Amino acid sequence: MKTISKVFFVLLLSVLFIGLSYTAQAKEKPIKVGIVLPLTGPKAMFGEMEKNSFLMAYKDLGEKTVIGGRKIELLFEDGQGKPGIAKSAAEKLVHKNKVIMLSGGYSSACSYPIAGAAQSMKMPFVVSTGAADKITTQGWKWVFRGTAAPASKYTGALFDFYDKVAHPKTAVLMYENTDFGTSSAKGFRQVCKKKGIKIVFDEAYEAGAVDFKPMLAKAKKSNPDTAYCISYVMDAALIATQTRELNWSCPFFVGGAAGWTMPEFLKNTGGAAQYIASTTLWVPNVAWPGAKEYYDNYIKKYGKKPDYHGAQAYATMQIIADVLNNAKKITPKDIRNALLKAEVSTIMGLIKFENWSDEFGHNYTNQNKPTTYVVQWQNGKLEVIWPEAAKSANYVYPVPKWNKR
Amino acid sequence: MSLFWQTLICGLLLGGMYALIAIGMTLIMGVMKIINLAHGALVMVGMYVTYVCFHYWGIDPYAALFISMPALFFLGCLIQKYSINTLIGKESILPENQVLLTVGIMLVLTETMRMIFGSDYKSVHTSYTGSSFFVGDVSVSIPMAIGFVIAMVFTYALHIFLTKSDIGRSIRATAQDKEAAILMGVNANKITIITFGLGSALAAGGGTLLIPIYYLFPDIGHAFVAKSFIITILGGMGSTMGALFGGLTLGIAESFGATYISMGLKDVVGFVIFIIVLLFLPGGFKSLTKR
Repeated sequence: MKTISKVFFVLLLSVLFIGLSYTAQAKEKPIKVGIVLPLTGPKAMFGEMEKNSFLMAYKDLGEKTVIGGRKIELLFEDGQGKPGIAKSAAEKLVHKNKVIMLSGGYSSACSYPIAGAAQSMKMPFVVSTGAADKITTQGWKWVFRGTAAPASKYTGALFDFYDKVAHPKTAVLMYENTDFGTSSAKGFRQVCKKKGIKIVFDEAYEAGAVDFKPMLAKAKKSNPDTAYCISYVMDAALIATQTRELNWSCPFFVGGAAGWTMPEFLKNTGGAAQYIASTTLWVPNVAWPGAKEYYDNYIKKYGKKPDYHGAQAYATMQIIADVLNNAKKITPKDIRNALLKAEVSTIMGLIKFENWSDEFGHNYTNQNKPTTYVVQWQNGKLEVIWPEAAKSANYVYPVPKWNKR
Repeated sequence: MSLFWQTLICGLLLGGMYALIAIGMTLIMGVMKIINLAHGALVMVGMYVTYVCFHYWGIDPYAALFISMPALFFLGCLIQKYSINTLIGKESILPENQVLLTVGIMLVLTETMRMIFGSDYKSVHTSYTGSSFFVGDVSVSIPMAIGFVIAMVFTYALHIFLTKSDIGRSIRATAQDKEAAILMGVNANKITIITFGLGSALAAGGGTLLIPIYYLFPDIGHAFVAKSFIITILGGMGSTMGALFGGLTLGIAESFGATYISMGLKDVVGFVIFIIVLLFLPGGFKSLTKR
């Protein structure tokens, strides 16, 4: 009898306990946000930087991450930098983990299929980095891009620099044959045609090559006034060192963001980075509140310098927290409405999701209007040289020959 | 015309280093009749050993060959002795269970390196990195030229080892006919262990030679597996000289493809050659010399 009552008591207690914890859970069920990033594979370095930045922003946002007693929970999923896997990772987050919105993506090649999946699942997707034009030109209502400009618009400040300072007549265009690369190249070609700059050499390449000299030797032969080259970080480093090996001194060699602004680029070029310019979307010394703090804190915490990719992730987290706080109810539909109305002040400036068209007839949906900069590596530091109002150092143009650098 | 010579020189120098990596694979394939998909990972580990030598102890990458190659020889022997050999002769659903095992080894090596070094790109900067000399109009990269010469020396040394030494002959005997070799008193078990070690050491050698011109991250191995595989098929399985010519052919073909077709289609050129060889010369270059 005694044992039976004991068993009964334990049973009763456990039922009570389960019941209690269940109600407690229901009340504090977290708001899940799914983030797909390349955490393994060749692009893992960027994925790590973005993940770190998401987490930093999450911590810095403090009480903003708790909405009506429910905590925001970030669920990271590895997309391995492969489009197919990134897409299924997003679908898994939605169907299995029951997230309420999606973010991340990193590369254009991965962001695009995630965006397509998000549109068909009616799930808001806030793109952090993927810049290919086509992500926001499909008229997809559930896809929002605030922290990245369309790839063809990275060159805004650069063309301004060309118009006012460099006046190039001929240009060379080299790009990796990915979504981001081809999209950027297309934009560059269109603007060049409009401005009467002749493209004398135009070639795509496969990322990860050991030897870029066949391409660079041909580019050198065409003797251009300027060169625009869209590459990821290690290709960029090899291209920079190999232009020096070939003794090709282009008067103004410009990288198309992505790898060209990374601290790793500088580290791996061994001096060949000197005076190479690049377009970029963000620099630590921009005037936006929090930018400098983010940069310093990141270095303090992770012992590495972040570049614009990290800032994009940080700003994306700021956007996510803002819309979740402003959404009427925590449902995908209300979050989408909040995104449409959002005007968020981030470390990348004020971000609004708007519908607009450019002079080439592309219609963008839910796309923030871009701010771009031209930066130049000067003595191991990345200096802003254009626009004039934001500059941190004077531009060096035309760039001296290799033996004088 | 200078463009033509530039292309040829670049392709030739790179091809020499490809060849060294592929010779490691072809040796293993010849003796054990398995495709070693962990080969690229072994190249990667060899590169990390060199990186550590340079970064922490300041040892020049070419001097580090004397550390990375023995280290990988040892690692290769261990892998063969304690994992691959234990599978030989085991009944399984798939006859290729050893190949599957090499995939597993590749994953373990890759993720271990990621755990230790992270996913960051690493590179080694020596005084001669990025330096070059000019022959007429053609720029020749110094580290690539040194790498090519060392790769050729290793290939020649290996050739001598395989044809003249006792162990070398046993390796060739095992590759030709394992049963017969055992009957002749060759310890086939020991030979497979040495072969795998030797293959791994050559992989490390190739990786080490590439490090002053290339860079390094845990997933770098995949590219080398594909290339070595093409070269091995080009040259004919198990043939050192075949792999040498295969490597040079692939390097030059890629380079010419990049210059005269498009840099974006560089890898396509390699694969097209691969298919053509499979269709018209299934035995590889080796079959041209033997009747």
